[in-house]
Order: sequence, then structure tokens, then C-alpha cells
Amino acid sequence: MNSDAISLPEILRTPAVIEGSISPGGVDDQVLSHVSRKPPAAWFAALAITSGAMLLGFALIGYTVYEGIGVWGNNIPVAWAFDIINFVFWVGIGHAGTLISAILLLFRARWRNAISRFAEAMTIFAVMCALIFPLIHVGRPWLMYFLFPYPNQRGIWPNFRSPLVWDVFAVSTYFGVSLLFWYLGLVPDLASMRDRATGRIRKAVYSLLSVGWRGSSSHWLHYEKAYTIIAGLATGLVLSVHSVVSFDFAVSLVPGWHMTIFPPYFVCGAIFAGFAMVVMVLVIARRLMGLENLITSYHLDVMNRVILACSCLMGYAYLMEGFTAWYSMNEPIHHTFWQYVFGTYWWAGWLTIACNILLPQLLWSRRLRRKYSVMILVAIGVTVGMWFERFVIIVGSLHQDFLPSAWRIYRPTLVDGGILLGSFGLFFTLVLLFARVLPVIAATEMKAVIPGAQPADTGGAHE
Amino acid sequence: MSERCFSVLGLFDSAQALVAAIPIVRRGTGALLEAYTPYPVRGIEKALGRRKSPIAGMVMVTGILGALGGLGLELWTSAADYPLVTAGKPPGAWQAFVPIMFEVTVLFAAFTAGLGMLALLNRLPMFRHPMLRSQSMPLITRDRFALAVEAEGQPLDVEKTASLLRAAGASAVEVVGMPAPPGPVSPNAVLTAFAALAMSCAAAGYLTYWAVKLFPVFPPMVHMLDQPRLDPQRASAFFTDGFGMRLPVAGTVARGHLPSLIETPDEAAVLSSPLPRTAAVLQAGREGYRTYCAPCHGVLGDGKPTLTAAYGAKPANLTSQAIRDFPDGRIYHVIAAGRNAMPGYSWELNQDQRWAVVDYVRALQRSQSAMDSDVPEGVK
Repeated sequence: MNSDAISLPEILRTPAVIEGSISPGGVDDQVLSHVSRKPPAAWFAALAITSGAMLLGFALIGYTVYEGIGVWGNNIPVAWAFDIINFVFWVGIGHAGTLISAILLLFRARWRNAISRFAEAMTIFAVMCALIFPLIHVGRPWLMYFLFPYPNQRGIWPNFRSPLVWDVFAVSTYFGVSLLFWYLGLVPDLASMRDRATGRIRKAVYSLLSVGWRGSSSHWLHYEKAYTIIAGLATGLVLSVHSVVSFDFAVSLVPGWHMTIFPPYFVCGAIFAGFAMVVMVLVIARRLMGLENLITSYHLDVMNRVILACSCLMGYAYLMEGFTAWYSMNEPIHHTFWQYVFGTYWWAGWLTIACNILLPQLLWSRRLRRKYSVMILVAIGVTVGMWFERFVIIVGSLHQDFLPSAWRIYRPTLVDGGILLGSFGLFFTLVLLFARVLPVIAATEMKAVIPGAQPADTGGAHE
Repeated sequence: MSERCFSVLGLFDSAQALVAAIPIVRRGTGALLEAYTPYPVRGIEKALGRRKSPIAGMVMVTGILGALGGLGLELWTSAADYPLVTAGKPPGAWQAFVPIMFEVTVLFAAFTAGLGMLALLNRLPMFRHPMLRSQSMPLITRDRFALAVEAEGQPLDVEKTASLLRAAGASAVEVVGMPAPPGPVSPNAVLTAFAALAMSCAAAGYLTYWAVKLFPVFPPMVHMLDQPRLDPQRASAFFTDGFGMRLPVAGTVARGHLPSLIETPDEAAVLSSPLPRTAAVLQAGREGYRTYCAPCHGVLGDGKPTLTAAYGAKPANLTSQAIRDFPDGRIYHVIAAGRNAMPGYSWELNQDQRWAVVDYVRALQRSQSAMDSDVPEGVK
């Protein structure tokens, strides 16, 4: 979690993880104090907007359940549309959080400490948004338990060779493990909040949540080991989850889906979209919550470099996909790829390329990389682009496959759009509530890495 | 001076000071030492002589159990309990089971690491620990470092320990008393909260069970039974005659059902079977006979089945001399048009099937009047 002793690559060795000097107590005062302050008017205004969108989404979900999913634009052959696009999109957003909290922890990237908590919270909220969509897409969500292998009077089991069943296991494991990881990281901070809390109810709630954490050295011994192990497991998990999501497509025979590049391509795209969302939220949060000295422009710079790297990888993946399609000498695949860029949805294909490949190239410039307006522009661009990438893959491939007599132009309805808007409302409502009641920065981890926090001579690194 | 207490606590201002003090205090007392820090401090376990955490071994064991459990579930359900062939693969093909094995492994291993660390190794949740009541706890979770000399239930020389800690560099000393006085969260309140949580979970589960059971049968759900579709035998306002099912257009002839111009049994006598008398035809005739004829005429054609006895009906004995004397065409006509109480079977059996049944009836007649002399010489 904190090692200066291991030699790091240049990109990770830059020391300026905190601007100015701050004491461990100062970290607490800055990070944990907002709970006791009255939220600013802007917070209430933002909450009103996001919860309004959320309620609209829930109302439309209710309408969908009452009326049936015929109120959406989906119809054969485009049986998957907004619902699965949104599912893949939101699961992908979550991946940045796990990458920052788990993979960068294993790589000992110290800049992750300041942003890991926010990113992990966004993982949880994004997966919650994602889980809504398969649930309502089954049409009769109250029979959702059919997905799980439980003994039943029909004497049958789920088909364990189906990627859709793998998905059930992968995404539910991902949600459970992410929640556990997030909570374990929170426990020492919750103990700090317990000891700072003044109100009776607040103290009781934080006491209960911090499960009596007292920071003894034997606690820390097991805690650090367990945290590192879960980080290692989460690393494998995060790579597997979007791979399994990509199997939903790659294992089928639909032209444009049946490709071996899909698992790494999807994982990269997920991290790409997730980092964009993290940058978007952090740029706003650090300013509104006065955390500029902890989440510095260096952090944003590093995240933008990750976005740039992912963008280049995505460009490679698009080219490779196109090459594979051309090299297949398979007429339906040729047709599908032609449709991606010159078909009915040509604008979605070009929008994807413009937002995901061209726009992030601005980040090559160090000056632009540290400019708020450019960062937000790129982050929004990538979010839009990644959503439309899934639109191209799903709708673009399905609407014209092997059987020309079954071709159909897909048009989403207002209900589709409203539920998508509602999922954004839910996500940002949860982010806003989180920012009020829980420490948005891992204060304990920050305290451990500020200069002078560790004894000078320890006889080498440890975990 | 000795008194009963939980521990004597020395507060230090930096991690450096704490780590430096540990060997000094250790030399001065044989009692158990414990450090409390706001964040993990490097090298402190070594200074305190702690053993390594066993958590990696625990995770390894449950991870392997998870992998085996996942594979076992998949193999048993897909290959043993209900063998399912997908894409022509053997039911036990394990390759497709790897993703779920992996997920279950991670699930088991991660929760072992997380909950095992909290509950088994660190004994949390624990709300009654004396340290939580100490004045120093808010300082420790903030930015101070504490070294505790623990009494372990024995009387501890407080004065001596305190001066030892001060000599080692402690900026302040606190005696942590026991037993713990009730704090903002009393154990009873926690128990009550857990009981309330458990009860509300049970209530929510019960309500969910009934909601899931009943919700689908209330309109408009009704398990999708109400669909804009015309079921067989249902009325329909769409057609003027009110029937949902339609008759064929006038003059339609179904395959195998050419209308017969023959009206009387005598006219039918001239008909003869267009089919060759092959084993396949006899087999088809047997099938038709067993399906439509045997319930009344009996599988042997003797008119003595069990079914009709209850109704006092008297179906014909097909092996009787009178019917053996019928020409083929007449039997065919009876099948098509019926006789006495017997309805015609022209809709159930097409022309070829009727002729096949006729052939089979002939075979039955022959078999029921077999003689010893019919048996070939060699097998007698």
C-alpha cells in the first residue's frame, strides 16, 4: 500500500501526490469534515436534478413492467438494443474503479490513494445501474431467480455453457467483491468519523459501520494482507468480467460479434470509459469540495495519460476488427462492417471514431491535458463515444444479419431514452449522496503516504 | 502501586517515536505490548514480534474449494442430473465451465479474505473493547500513535509502567480502565438493532415470496396468458358466425381425403386396395388399427375389449365368418362411413391408411383361425 523502497517507473515516481504540506490530522480535517457542514445550495440543486431524472427513469421502468417491453424500440431481429447497450456501458464504467483500486495498488502507484475511494464508489454505483437493465429486459423481472441454479420442480438447470449464465455469475461476483473491497477500505476511515462525530445518531451509525475498528497493530497486520489479496483477486476478476460480457457477443455467430479480439477489446474500452467518467466527476468534485491540494492537477494529468493510452489501444482494436472482417472473406461480415460506417447508422460509427480515437489525441499536449475545459470535453466525448460504440456493435450488427428478408431498421422510443437518462440520474444521485456522508478520499491511505508518515529506517519494504 | 486495569497507554507524536520506543518498553516489562496507529506503520510487526498473518493460507483453501465447488455444481447439473448436449459437445465437456469456476473461486477467496480478516482474525465487530472507551481513541484514529502495555487480567503496576512509557518518549500516558462503561452504542442496542434487522429481513423475505407468487397472476401480468391471440375452440366477434375456428373454403380437398362417390356397401364391394401387401403397409395398418379400432374391436379383432364392457356395447367380432366373407371394399367402406353405432373414420385415417387397416384386419382374421397345419414342417 505504501512503498518508496521499490523502484518505480518514471511515470509513477513523480513525488507530487500532494500539493503543499499537510499533516495527518489536516487530512482528516479536510476530508472528513464535510459531513458535519451544511451542504451548499449547489449540492441541493444538483441532487434535485439527478433525483428528478432518477424518478423519471423509475417511472418509465414501472410503465415498461406494466405494459411489457413492447414499449421499447426492440423487435426481432434487433432483440438487444438500449437495454444491453446500457448494461455493457455501465459495467464498463465500473471497471476504472477496480483498476485504480486494485491493479494500481499492486503496482504501488501512489497517486491512486487520493482517487481510489471515489473511483471504487463509482464502480459500485455503475454496477448497480448496469444490473437494472438485464433485469428489466427479461420482461418479467419477478421471475429473475430463474437465472440461478436452484432446485426446482421442473427438474432443469441453467445451461452452464451459455455466456449469459456466465454473465450472471461474473457480474454478481463483481458487485459483491467490489462492495466488500470498498467497505474494507472504508472501515478505518469510518472509525475516524466515529471518533469525530458529535451527534448521537451520527455517532451510532458510524460506530456500527466501523465495527469497532481500533487500529491495533495486529488488526493492521491482517488487514493489509487481506486487502492486498483481495486486490490481487479483484485484478483477475475485473479482467474476467468484461471478457465474459464480451463472450455474450463473441460466442454467438452474428457477423461483427463472432471475433476473438472481443475480450481484450472490451476490457480496454471499459477502462477507457471508466477513466473518462472518473475524470469528469473528480474535476467537479475536487473544486466544489476544496480538495485541489489532495487531488492535484498531477492526478488528472496521469488519468488523462491513461485515457490517451486506452484511446490508442481502441484505435488499434478498431483497425484490427476491420482487418479481421476484411480478411475473413466472408460476405455477411463484409456487409456488416460496411453497414457500420456507410449504412443506416453511419453517423453512429463515425461518431464513435471521432469521440474515441480523434478527440482524445488532444491529450498529447501537456498544456491541454491540464486544462479543465479540455479534460471535461474529452471525458464527455469519450462517454458519448463509448456508448455509441456499443450501439454500433449491437444494433449495427443485429439489424442486418444473414437473412435479408428479416432486416429491420431499429428506432428507439422515448421510453428507451428516458430509462437511459434515469440510469444517469441514479448514478449521479448516488455519487452526490456518497460525497455527503462518506469520506471521498481514503484518508487513512493518504496519511500513510504523506512525507514523514513512516519511520525512516525500517529495514526494507513490507506490505 | 498495582490496580486492575485493561492497559496503560503511552501516546507518541510520530511513527518514528513509536517504533523507537518499542524495544525500550519491551526491555522494561514482560507484559504484552500492543500498538495502536492511525494507519499501518512499516516495521511495527517486526518490532512487536508478531507472527505472519495466516490469511493467505485460508484464502488458498477456500479458493480451491470454490473452484471445485463450481466445477462440481456444473458437472453434476449439466452432465449427471440432467445431461444437456449443447453444440454437439459431450455433457461433461469442462472447457465451457471454466468462467464460472473462476468466478466462484474469486467469490469464495475474496470473501474469505475480507470477512475472515474482520471476523475470525480481528474478532470484529466488537463494540465493547475497553480501548474504544479510552480518551486516546479519537487521537489515535486521527494522527497519534499509542503503545499499550496490557494487563491481561492481572494487576498491573500503573506507576511503574507509566514512567517506563514516559522514559521511552511518550508525550502522554493514559490508564485504560475496565470494565468498559456503556458508550453511545451499548451492546444491547447493537443486539436490538441486529434482531430488528433479522426480523425485518425475515418479514421482507416473506412478503417478497408472496409478492413473487401472487404478482404474476394479477392483471395485467397473468403470466402472459392474456394475449391478443385466438385460441382453438374460442368464439370471435370478428367473424359473422361468431366462431373463432374457420371451416375450409368450399370445394377444398385435403390430401388423402378425396371425396368418395360410393354411397352403399354394395357399391363399395368392387373396390380393391391400391397398396402392395408389404410388411411396411401391414405395420402402418397395425398402427392405425391399434389407435382407432382396437379400443372397441379389441387388439385381436374379436370384439371383446375391456373398454366397451362397461357400456354394454356390442362391437362386431371382426374375425367372425360373416366379416371374413366381406369383400375388402366393404370393410374399407365401413371404416370410411361407419356402420350402426360406429362413426366413420374418414378424417382420422386417409385413404392409404384405411387400406392398410383393411390389410391388417385380414391378417388378424387369418391369425385367429390358424391351424396346426399352417405351421411349417421343419419347426413343428
